[in-house]
Amino acid sequence: MNTVAHQEPSAALTAISHARARKDRLDRWRIYAMRVAFFASLIGLWHTLVWLEIWDEMIFPSLPQVTETLWLGMSDQSLPAAIAISMQRLLIGYGLALCIGIPLGLLLGRVRWLNETVGMLAMGLQALPSICWLPLAVLWFGLGESAMIFVVVMGALMALTLATRDGVKNMPPLYMRAAHVLGASGWRLYVHVMLPATLPAVLTGAKLGWSFAWRSLMAAELLLVGVGLGSLLERGRELHDMSLVVAVMIVIMFVGLMTDRWLFSRLEQRFVHRRWGTAT
Amino acid sequence: MPKVEINGVSQVFWSQSGAVQALAETSLSIDEGEFVCIVGPSGCGKSTLLNLVAGLAKPDTGQVIANGKPVTGPGPDRVVMFQESGLFPWLNVLQNVMFGLKMAGVPEPERRERAEKLLHMVHLSRFTQAWVHELSGGMKQRVALARALAPNPDILLMDEPFAALDAQTRDMLHDELEDLWASTRKTVIFVTHNVREAVRLGTRVIVMTARPGQVKNIYDIDLPRPRHIEDIGLVKIAAIIRDDLRDEVLQATHEEGID
Repeated sequence: MNTVAHQEPSAALTAISHARARKDRLDRWRIYAMRVAFFASLIGLWHTLVWLEIWDEMIFPSLPQVTETLWLGMSDQSLPAAIAISMQRLLIGYGLALCIGIPLGLLLGRVRWLNETVGMLAMGLQALPSICWLPLAVLWFGLGESAMIFVVVMGALMALTLATRDGVKNMPPLYMRAAHVLGASGWRLYVHVMLPATLPAVLTGAKLGWSFAWRSLMAAELLLVGVGLGSLLERGRELHDMSLVVAVMIVIMFVGLMTDRWLFSRLEQRFVHRRWGTAT
Repeated sequence: MPKVEINGVSQVFWSQSGAVQALAETSLSIDEGEFVCIVGPSGCGKSTLLNLVAGLAKPDTGQVIANGKPVTGPGPDRVVMFQESGLFPWLNVLQNVMFGLKMAGVPEPERRERAEKLLHMVHLSRFTQAWVHELSGGMKQRVALARALAPNPDILLMDEPFAALDAQTRDMLHDELEDLWASTRKTVIFVTHNVREAVRLGTRVIVMTARPGQVKNIYDIDLPRPRHIEDIGLVKIAAIIRDDLRDEVLQATHEEGID
């Protein structure tokens, strides 16, 4: 009883819904097949290029080399450890950015003078790659975790704040009027109306913020010595181990894809598409 | 004592071309249990008047007194139903109806029970878990009606709530609203541009002038209930009121032409 009115479906309806389910299954398989074919040909192209020996193996590693590096990194725990430490920095920085960015965005959308001042600053900072903060961050927080986390926060914060603000500004005024009439005021307007009403925009901002956070973290880890995926890249450069570089690149892409599929897409499906009736 | 007293309220809007007097000084007194319909040409300030009673806007002059107290803002005694449902897409039907009760601090089991009862009354018991986008226009307005009634306001303000619906659905909702008003005796102020609808529902019909709007004429409607929108007596009264309104509509379109 958790969907719209249930009635006993007629035989014709049952047949149609079975046919529909069959078609959906077929479409899904087609998509999987297409993906496998695409990535297989990409690997094929890679192999061909290596086989043609246009470039030296030192600067253009082969798939077996990269696979071996990945395997080695996994078995000696260096890769999982690097992923764990990078993820930890990312999650702390991104979490802080969420906690600051969303409330700030809601305020900017509501309070005009704040938007004219702080909003302008946020726009300016948005244009600034957050890695530019690193020299200052190192001076303020020292050569360590805090400096890197600060850079991550600055990377994700502006995208989140501005997306949330725009969500508030584009919210139909009728929601606010209805909420007022039904007795919502003060902080409850923010929590029960503005925040859920802007959720689609906030999620878009959250996705953007997540990718900015990644970029910032990788830049910071490349520049500061230590442990992490970025530092592994830097080590690959120093040792001229291009298979390590490519392996780390693949890991970063994989993590990014997985977060989108398992986190953001699901959140969007559950809290936006299903409720607003937007495309899936 | 009247339930709603509108004392010389007026309102000016600022637009690109300067100040526009939306509502000239208007006074009106509405008794408890009345069903007052306000008709007028577009832009005559009838919605403005409703917003002033709702407390969604402040008048430039005069004041509105509801339940013996001056209106300073929205209150749970006066709930508005809009032309577009204004339902919250992030909540399901039941949660939408419970919203006002939640804001009033009614505990969860009680607000669920009251919301379910209201949804039963508007014939949507089977749709409590549906999302807003899954509903038809008529169903949305039914939910909006249930949502407006949930905090149990004495005064129900309706701003062209059925204007966007097809005729059959509107007829059905007229019946439901009439039943509801007859059983609860709430005071209703109903804004519409549809004269027949006004005569179908109202105990009184107020005709407003073209902008700047003010009360032009008041008609008491003594037709027996239940009424039907095609009753001959109703149609005749509507024809008289429409003639009264026609001059104002002409003037309004004339002004828009010059602008």
